[in-house]
Amino acid sequence: MSPRTGAGLLGLLPATAALLMLALLAVPLFALVVSTSPGDLLEGLRHPLALSALRLSLFTTTTSLALTLLLGTPLAWWMARHPGPAERVAATLVQLPIVVPPAVSGLALLLAFGRRGLLGPALEQAGWALPFTTAAVIVAELFVSAPFYIQSAVATFRRLDEDLLWAARSLGAGPARRFFRVVLPLSRPGVVTGAALSWARALGEFGATLMFAGNLQGRTQTLPLAIYSAMETDLRPAKALSILLVTVALAVLVLLGRGTVVEAVRARA
Amino acid sequence: MLELELEVVRDGFTLDVQLSAGAGPTALVGPNGAGKSTVLRAILGAVPVRRGRIVLDGRTLLDTRQRVDVPTEERRVAWVPQEYALFPHLTVLENVTFGVPGPAGRASAGAVMDQLGLAPLRSRRPGALSGGERQKVALARALAAEPRALLLDEPLAALDADTREMTRALLVETLPRLAIPTLVVTHEMRDVIALGGPVVLLEAGRVRSATALDAFRASPPSEFARSLVTRAVGGT
Repeated sequence: MSPRTGAGLLGLLPATAALLMLALLAVPLFALVVSTSPGDLLEGLRHPLALSALRLSLFTTTTSLALTLLLGTPLAWWMARHPGPAERVAATLVQLPIVVPPAVSGLALLLAFGRRGLLGPALEQAGWALPFTTAAVIVAELFVSAPFYIQSAVATFRRLDEDLLWAARSLGAGPARRFFRVVLPLSRPGVVTGAALSWARALGEFGATLMFAGNLQGRTQTLPLAIYSAMETDLRPAKALSILLVTVALAVLVLLGRGTVVEAVRARA
Repeated sequence: MLELELEVVRDGFTLDVQLSAGAGPTALVGPNGAGKSTVLRAILGAVPVRRGRIVLDGRTLLDTRQRVDVPTEERRVAWVPQEYALFPHLTVLENVTFGVPGPAGRASAGAVMDQLGLAPLRSRRPGALSGGERQKVALARALAAEPRALLLDEPLAALDADTREMTRALLVETLPRLAIPTLVVTHEMRDVIALGGPVVLLEAGRVRSATALDAFRASPPSEFARSLVTRAVGGT
């Protein structure tokens, strides 16, 4: 090999690496799609495991998203408006579930709300036995997914021009009017993005749910858990549900992409 | 009548002012960093006041000793900041009626908009307006709320020369008729002269002088005031 060709090959290295990376991302998804015939897909989706998991996933992720918005928005607003030591502690707490392995989250949830957990006895006395119930699925989803929404909302709220809020106040607008008439409309892109990411994360939640809520069909077996269970018997529902989840994920990406285009057009108008 | 006594400490800067302003425009002048905008923000309730009192037409808005601190939304003090702070997602009409929801508000907002020539722009958003138009919308929004006092922070600074002339004329026509205390922060002696009201000179966080316009021009109370007065003479 002449030094020149050597240098030429060396020059190709980054491009080769980049292609390899892309291939690694694309091939599994490609394999998933080509290995599933339309017949398989229909058959798989009709499988009893699939339907109940789909229903359960829709219910739990919708509920956890609603709770995320309801509880996360005030927290995000407070964090955006009160930078300081307390806010930094809150920010760390919000970041942790994103980084912590889901299995650890599941164990932590058990140790907190499990029958022998920190709050378990108190909850049980109140008639609330959380583990291995649908409610536990929702709690697990909330735990792992809310941080995505909160982080996005905090960042958006921080970018808000404070003078707009003072102008609103000077015009007599109280907190509710300021929030719904000024803050929320101006923060919509970030809030929607955060909600979509958070919902997608909840939909994909597996590890924490498995440990904290178990894998009971119709009660705690969400789509990812159904895929896992189906793999042991019939691969068709697993493949069909996987394709369904990939489609949903793509739809979320399109929604987010479209969201930004809409905002861009509106800003220009 | 707006009377205030304020001590504000912010990032190592101390503002310690006492002033009173009757109905009509009062010019607030002074070098950069003298604390002019901070005075306005303190009256608005947007900066924490360490010690002081603000009384507007006999109503106490703030009294740190008596622990009175009327929230901004109940002070009825309108504020037009330098960049106007118009709501970018609302139309001109929605901006102007923001402080006066309901049909009655719509009517009074309509009157103000007609007066300022804004009616044709009612369904535009601030992003589609010129600087002069934005200034007018901000003024209309402030006036529609029927405030008891009006605070204008360099209302003409962001405008080009022609628009500035027109807007100045508009302010001169509008402000005295409101008959409410109106503080106008400005860097231009021409604005001060056009407004014709008393002049408060602020330097390094303190009121250096508060005089009638003629006295201010006849014997400028500081080096800054002298340069302000002579610049206007040379400039026109």
